[in-house]
Amino acid sequence: MDNFEPKIVAFCCNWCSYAGADLAGTSRMQYPPAIRIIRVMCSGRVSPFLVLKALSVGADGVLVLGCHPGDCHYIEGNYKTMRRIPLLKKVLKQFGIEEERVRLEWVSASEGAKFAEVANSFTQSIKNLGPSTLDNLKQSSKGAKHG
Amino acid sequence: MEEPRIGVFVCHCGRNIGAYVDVPGVVEYVKGLPNVVHAERNLYTCSEEGISAIKKGIQEHNLNRVIVASCTPRTHEPLFRSACEAVGLNKYLFEFVNIRDQCSWVHMHEPEKATEKAKDLIRMGVAKARLLEPLEEIEIKVTPSALVIGGGVVGMGAALNLAAQGFEVHVVEKEPELGGTLRSVYKLYPTNEEATKVTNPLIEKVKNDPKIKTYLSAKVKEVSGFIGNFDVVVNQDGEESKFNVGTIIVAIGADKLKPTGQYGYGEMPNVLTQLELEERMKKGEPVGQNVVMINCVGARVPERTYCSRICCMTAIKNASLIKESNPKAKVWILHRDLMTYGVDFENYYRKAMELGVRFIRYSLERPPQVIGDGKAEEIKAYHELRREEIELPCDMLVLTTPLIPAEDNQDISKMLKVSLDEFGFFLEAHLKLRPVEFAMDGIYICGSAKWPTDVTEGISQAYAAASKAAGPLRMGYVKPEAINALVNEDKCSGCGICELLCPFQAIELQPRDGKRVSHVNEAVCKGCGTCGAACPSGAIAMHYFTDEQILAQVEALFS
Amino acid sequence: MAKLKIALYWAASCGGCDIATLAIGEKILKLAEAADIVFWPIGLDFKYADVEKMPDKSIDACLFNGAIRTSENEHVAKLLRAKSKIMIAYGSCSYEGCIPGLSNFYNRQMTFEHVYIETPTTDNPGKIFPQTKVKVPEGELELPEFYDTVKTLAQTVDVDYFVPGCPPEEKTTWLALEALITGKLPPKGTVISHAVKAVCDECPRKKGEKKIKKFYRPYEIVPDPEICLLEQGLLCYGIATRGGCGALCPQANMPCTGCYGPVEGVIDQGAHFLSALSSIIDSNDPEEIQKIIDDIPDPAGTFYRYSLPDSLLRRARIK
Repeated sequence: MDNFEPKIVAFCCNWCSYAGADLAGTSRMQYPPAIRIIRVMCSGRVSPFLVLKALSVGADGVLVLGCHPGDCHYIEGNYKTMRRIPLLKKVLKQFGIEEERVRLEWVSASEGAKFAEVANSFTQSIKNLGPSTLDNLKQSSKGAKHG
Repeated sequence: MEEPRIGVFVCHCGRNIGAYVDVPGVVEYVKGLPNVVHAERNLYTCSEEGISAIKKGIQEHNLNRVIVASCTPRTHEPLFRSACEAVGLNKYLFEFVNIRDQCSWVHMHEPEKATEKAKDLIRMGVAKARLLEPLEEIEIKVTPSALVIGGGVVGMGAALNLAAQGFEVHVVEKEPELGGTLRSVYKLYPTNEEATKVTNPLIEKVKNDPKIKTYLSAKVKEVSGFIGNFDVVVNQDGEESKFNVGTIIVAIGADKLKPTGQYGYGEMPNVLTQLELEERMKKGEPVGQNVVMINCVGARVPERTYCSRICCMTAIKNASLIKESNPKAKVWILHRDLMTYGVDFENYYRKAMELGVRFIRYSLERPPQVIGDGKAEEIKAYHELRREEIELPCDMLVLTTPLIPAEDNQDISKMLKVSLDEFGFFLEAHLKLRPVEFAMDGIYICGSAKWPTDVTEGISQAYAAASKAAGPLRMGYVKPEAINALVNEDKCSGCGICELLCPFQAIELQPRDGKRVSHVNEAVCKGCGTCGAACPSGAIAMHYFTDEQILAQVEALFS
Repeated sequence: MAKLKIALYWAASCGGCDIATLAIGEKILKLAEAADIVFWPIGLDFKYADVEKMPDKSIDACLFNGAIRTSENEHVAKLLRAKSKIMIAYGSCSYEGCIPGLSNFYNRQMTFEHVYIETPTTDNPGKIFPQTKVKVPEGELELPEFYDTVKTLAQTVDVDYFVPGCPPEEKTTWLALEALITGKLPPKGTVISHAVKAVCDECPRKKGEKKIKKFYRPYEIVPDPEICLLEQGLLCYGIATRGGCGALCPQANMPCTGCYGPVEGVIDQGAHFLSALSSIIDSNDPEEIQKIIDDIPDPAGTFYRYSLPDSLLRRARIK
């Protein structure tokens, strides 16, 4: 388990959390290299489908990061995310997947330190959980029947 | 779709990436990725050489997709996109991979892992780039007028500048008169001229300018729309005015901290703030023979860690003015550090010492103490340089307090959808490259609303913001990003969920074949993608961030 | 023109699909004119050995219903694939896994314990479970192996067409049969239905704003017969389900449960329903949101009622 290097997908919104990640970099805050950021314009873009996809192809954890409630660049895209993730977590639990493998956090453009803290603590919690057992089901995004 | 021919340009960024990521190794790796027909490394891809390398690469290798792996799209995407456009490649066929801010800089002690991560990130970028499609931007007309929120010296400066360029300006001030904070200031450093000499002519000019409409005792109640077409509702004494503007400048200044409970303030009659001292001096009231000033009261303390920048000079100015009018008076400034940057301020500081103002350094750990019964009679302080306790006689104690974020900042940030920083001041789009703009298109920031500034800086920022805000007004049109949503009407069942969710009312169900299907107004759509993520039919494609593109990125990470 | 040779088979299914093939009514005469049935265990007496003797690709089309849950299901699927020119996953079980696929929330052990011990009507003091091989005086008996995970037909063999529904509606069945009879076949991989859009497109109910403050189960309220069921708080799956049925359930005042599978091109029907449904919860307060969500007693079972084996996650992880 000590050698376990998790792979974590972090969906970051362009305006707050991606900028927060940039600020963590500008400030040279060090965090584990497990995090791979995928930029989207708004956390509201991150459908549960994308999170499930990441888990199903082998992500050990998925971070969804958005602007703080009330601060969304698109007014209220993050509120949609706030509604989706709890239901997704409830479903994941029924699938026998630890709900801690998915975490929603609000990180503003000025919170480089918070981004680094989230990256650190999430990586640690995934390390504690151990590798995801889902990668044995690697699949292509296109099932045979969908042509 | 034609076969993708991808070119990848990996940047050393001097040592910023090159010292931690094995860039040559990454380039070799990238050459083996599917559809990559060219890969090279540049010392600085953003330099003139780097830009010509991109253009040359596109032409020589017939590239139809370009990836730069370097810093962040938030600062450099426009530059690389325009390099692509310059040689005829649609700018939406460009993909950015961030291997500096989100890789080399944050994994400086793990170069091997940083290199592996850089490879992963570029592989993900390539997977997305293969699926990129060219997009066309539409033109939106711009209303040639502007809104300036705040009628202080900075807001007035911005408004006059815009009016001088021929644009109609609406100035909204919450107080019953123009002038802002300077109305209570006595004299201005470093020239010692009276503040009214600066404000009064400005107020006159604003009042007499036919292009400027001023709303006093007024508040902006509502702003909707987008760059070029903001609909504004102003509430003035219960009466509402509505108008449309193309751009908006925020110049609402800052509030003054009242240090209640500190050093006897609010309890002892002879303990004042600098601003209260100035009001007294303005009226010619006596200030006493022994004046002690304490700097950094409520600033650079654990609960408010920032330096308010203008307070040191304010204290020195007021101390000097006291000494000039009464050379026999004794004035001490107790300070922690002194911010007197630049030649003018340094000279001003030196002159204050020559006038006899005494500077004593104290530390946060051992703050001065106020001794006295009902009023401040004596100040005890630990002299950091002499390393001893001293006692100063005191007729008046003046506390130097910072500017703090205005109370309205929260409401205005929500109304305009612009960000605040960790302290509550407004946050610019980029500290260095976009200092007077917000991330939200068409809205600009200047003066102490962003960070405590003095008049000189505030006016410079006002002119910068005005010239930025005038750009779209003069062009007459803007071309918003083509990153927006598109409904596949052949798949839409008209459930209406997207219409409900769109925060910009950009989606409307429209009749088609006796039923209703969803339709996106691309001029209004801002491209957040909330609708696409919720569409149960997968009928909404989010340009540049399609499901297919994001899935390809995810899959590439684990391939 | 020579008559077509058609095979019908049922794997893990309830038998409803076999009945559905008969529901085409008098059109069955047209079918009889055009085709001979060469294999149909529920209707006629054939043995697997009869099929094994047929030359490869000698059957024109096989309508295969039922999911793959046992080694027998898998064996026959492979056998029929080899013998048939066209393989059709007929009905939700073979297309997506359907109700048998819900056992992917458990494993074989849990299923056996429930079925052979825990059910109230079972009396099994010896705790005897089915064995693949049992010795009896007459010799060794063999039972098919019961798999841990239910699969769809397409996860087992190459499939040419899919016919959705639990069971497919008569007109959907005829659409598929007519294509076979006339030889006007759609592109490989097509899901054969009259609709590519969601059920909402065919639903006559009035649509307003879909904002949900509380979810209800069907027994808890008597819904207004005119207004969109989802807007009344019922978990109507019509927004995320392929039409073609004619919105039958909503017209009977019952919410759609999703049996026609995802809308054309959509992968993971459950994830899409989840996303749409949670997005319209009418609250921005995390606690209230949680409360509203807690009114859905079995979200995974509801969202993946027909499609668990065909979903991205396919099955639950059992520790």
